[in-house]
Amino acid sequence: MAGTPETTDTPPPSAEELRAEVRDWLARHWTGLPPNRDVWRTSPERTAWLDKVVDAGYAVPTWPAAWHGRGYPSELAAVIEQEFAAAGAAGARQDKYNIAANTALKFGTEQLKHDIIRDVLTGRAATCLFYSEPGAGSDLAAVRTTAVRDGKDWVVNGQKVWTSGAATADYALLIARTDWDAPKHRGLSYFVVPMHQPGIDVRPLVQITGESHFNEVFITDAVVPGEYLVGAEGDGWRVLQTALAYERSVMGDGARASRNHTLADDLISLARAHGRLDDPVLRFHLAKVLALRELNALNNARAKADAAQGTSSPVMSLGKLAMANILHAEAGLRTEIAGAETLLAGAENPEADDVNFLALNAFFTSIGGGTDQIQRNIIGERVLGLPKEPEVDRNIPFRQVRRS
Amino acid sequence: MAISAAERTALREAVRDLLQDACTEQDVRKVMNSDEGFDRGLWRQLAELGVVGMLIDPGYGGSGFGALELEAVTEETGAALLPSPFISSGVLAASLIQAAGPPADRERLLPALASGQSIATVALTGTKGTWTADGVDVTAAADGTLTGAARYVTFGQAADVILVAARTADGIGVFEVAPDAAGFTRTAESVFDPTVRLSAYAFDGTPARRLGTAGWDAVQDALDLAVVALAGEQAGGARRILDITVEYLKTRVQFGRFIGSFQALKHFAADLLLEVESATSAARHAAAQYAAAHDPAVGGDSSAADGAVALAGFACAEAFETTALQAIQMHGGIGFTWEHPAHLFLRRARSGAQLFGGSRAHRERYLVSKGA
Repeated sequence: MAGTPETTDTPPPSAEELRAEVRDWLARHWTGLPPNRDVWRTSPERTAWLDKVVDAGYAVPTWPAAWHGRGYPSELAAVIEQEFAAAGAAGARQDKYNIAANTALKFGTEQLKHDIIRDVLTGRAATCLFYSEPGAGSDLAAVRTTAVRDGKDWVVNGQKVWTSGAATADYALLIARTDWDAPKHRGLSYFVVPMHQPGIDVRPLVQITGESHFNEVFITDAVVPGEYLVGAEGDGWRVLQTALAYERSVMGDGARASRNHTLADDLISLARAHGRLDDPVLRFHLAKVLALRELNALNNARAKADAAQGTSSPVMSLGKLAMANILHAEAGLRTEIAGAETLLAGAENPEADDVNFLALNAFFTSIGGGTDQIQRNIIGERVLGLPKEPEVDRNIPFRQVRRS
Repeated sequence: MAISAAERTALREAVRDLLQDACTEQDVRKVMNSDEGFDRGLWRQLAELGVVGMLIDPGYGGSGFGALELEAVTEETGAALLPSPFISSGVLAASLIQAAGPPADRERLLPALASGQSIATVALTGTKGTWTADGVDVTAAADGTLTGAARYVTFGQAADVILVAARTADGIGVFEVAPDAAGFTRTAESVFDPTVRLSAYAFDGTPARRLGTAGWDAVQDALDLAVVALAGEQAGGARRILDITVEYLKTRVQFGRFIGSFQALKHFAADLLLEVESATSAARHAAAQYAAAHDPAVGGDSSAADGAVALAGFACAEAFETTALQAIQMHGGIGFTWEHPAHLFLRRARSGAQLFGGSRAHRERYLVSKGA
C-alpha cells in the first residue's frame, strides 16, 4: 500500500516525518484539479485518485488500519489535512466529514461496513439524507416514516423532504419510526436504504428562487436488509446525533453568491453606479451592512484563534445566525439601491434578477440547516445555559402526540 | 511596548480583582452621589497597579503600554462601570502630551499624571459637541490668550492639568491653562450619566501656553486612542449587563417556569450575545490595528487603523446601548427601578455613544476608509 505503515504495531511518526512523507507522496501522485470541477466530480479520474488516497491511509487517518486508517491521533491527522489543503488535493480527512462512512464505522454491522465504507470513501457510491419530513422540520424527532420488520428485512413507508442528491444517490441514511408506542425520541431507528429499488420515488422540489437543489421522496414498501439497521432498534436518535455532528462540521459558510456574474459584488461600486453613494440614508444602511460583514469576519477570526489555543468560543455557534442576518440585510440594501428595476426579472434584466434572487435566497441560510429561531434556542440553551422550553410530547407514546 | 497575550491576561485579571473588591455596585452608587464623581482612594490604587500611567513611557514613570493593553484593561473598567478620570487623564491627555508635547512639557507633566497625583483633561469641543476641528469654540488671540467656551469636558472639575484646543491663525492649537488663570471659569454640568462627570469651561482673555506645535492631527490621534478605550469599556459593559440579565432569566420564575425558558426572552438573549461578541471583536481589532499603525517596527496601515477605530466607535457604542436597553426590558418591572443596576449600564451606554464623536461621525469615517 504505497509503502506506508499499515499495522498499528508500528509507532506513529513524528509530525515532521509525516509532513515530509505526505508532501513527497502528493508530489509524486497529485497532478492538480482539472479546470472544470463539475466534470471532475463524477469522473473516473476522481475515483482513481480517491482509491490512491484511501490506500495510502490518508482518507481516514484516525480510523483503525482494518478500515483504511492509520490509528492516528487527530494532531497527526491534522498534518495530513494541512498538506492536502496546501496542495489543493481532495479526499483526505474524511473521518472528519464523511457522514455515511463515519456513521457506518461507528454503529454499523460488519456486513454494512463491508458493503459501503470503501465505496463511499472512494466516491463510487453517493449518499443522501432521509431526515426531514413535511411534518418533521425543526422537530426532527417527530418523523412518521415507518419501518416494520418483515422476516430478516425491514419494509419502509413514508415521505421525506429536503433531500439533496437523492436523484443520483446509491444509498440514503434514514431516520424512521419503528415503535409508535414509545415516546417520540425512543421509537426511532436509523437505517441505510439502498436507493435503486422500485419503492423509492424521487421528485424534484422547486424552491422560491425557481431553482431545484432538493427533492422530495415518496417511499412505498421499500425494502431494507436487516444488516442495514444502524445501531440498535430504538436507538436511532442517538445515532442521528452523531451523524448530525458530522453534518454540522461540513456546513461552514455555505451561502452562495449571486447567480449572475454581471453584478459587481462590491456594494460600494453598486451604490456608486446607481448614483446613490451621496444619499445619507443609503450611506447609513451601507455602513451597517459593511459592518455586519466585517464584524462576522472578525468574530470568525477570533473563534479560530481561540480554537487554536484550545479554548472554545461561543462565537462558532453564532456564525450561522450572523450570516442569515447579513444576507437578509444585504439583499435589502441591494434592493434599495436597484429600486424599481427589481420589478423586473429574467435573463434580459440580470441586475434585477440578481437582487431578487439574493432577497429570496437569503432564506436558504435563515431556514435551512435549522431556522434562525431554532438556532437562537440552541445558543440560548447550550451557550448561555438557559432552561429549555417544557416539551409536552416528551414522555407520552408518540401515537398520542398532537399533529398538524 | 507590547506584552504577551498571557501578560495581558494577567494585567486584566489584576484590574478585575481590584475592581471586584473596590468598585462594586454599592461603591459606584456611593461615588455617583459624591461631589467629585470618583473615588480618590481607588484612583491611587489604580495608579499603584500601573493602570493610570499605563500608556506613559517608563522614562516618565509609566508602564509604556499600548492600545492592546489599554483595551484589555478597559473591558474590565467598563464591566465595573468604573467612574474615574482614567480615559480623560490617562488616555486622552497623557497620549496627547506624550505624542505632541515638547520634552520639557513631558518632563514637567507626565510623571505626576503617571503617579495619579495630577489629573488632566482636554477641552476639545464647543456646544455642538462634535469633537471635530470645526466644533472648537475657543479662539487664541495673537498674544496667546484664550476666549470662548468648551463643553462636555470630561472630569473637568477635578483636573489640575488643563489642555484646551483653540483656533489660531495657523489652525487648531493645543494650549495649557492654569487652573487659577484669570478669566477662566469652570462649571460642573448636570449629567445624565453620573459615572462620567462633565464640565463647561469659559475663557475670557485667559492667559495660556501653547503646547509645542500640536495641531488637530495630534488631537485626532489621541481621540482615536480614547475611542479604543471607550470601545473596550462598551464591550465589557455590554458583556456584564448581559451576564446579569442571563442570570436573572435563570432564576426568575413566572407561570411556574424560569422565564429564560420562554423563547421570547431566550431569543433576545441569543441576539444580544451576538452583539456582545461582535463588540468584543471590534474593540480588540481596533486596538490591534491602532497598535500596529503606531509601531514603527510593524509599520501598520494607518487607513486600516482609521477604519477599525471608526468601526469600533459605532459598533461598540450601539451594541452596548442595544444590550442595556434590552436588559431593562427583559428584567421587566424590577429593571425600571432606580435600585436595579440596569439603568446605570444604560446611562453609561448613552453617554459613551456621544463622547468623542458619535456614531454618525464614526460611521461616516468608516465608509470613507472603505472608499465610499
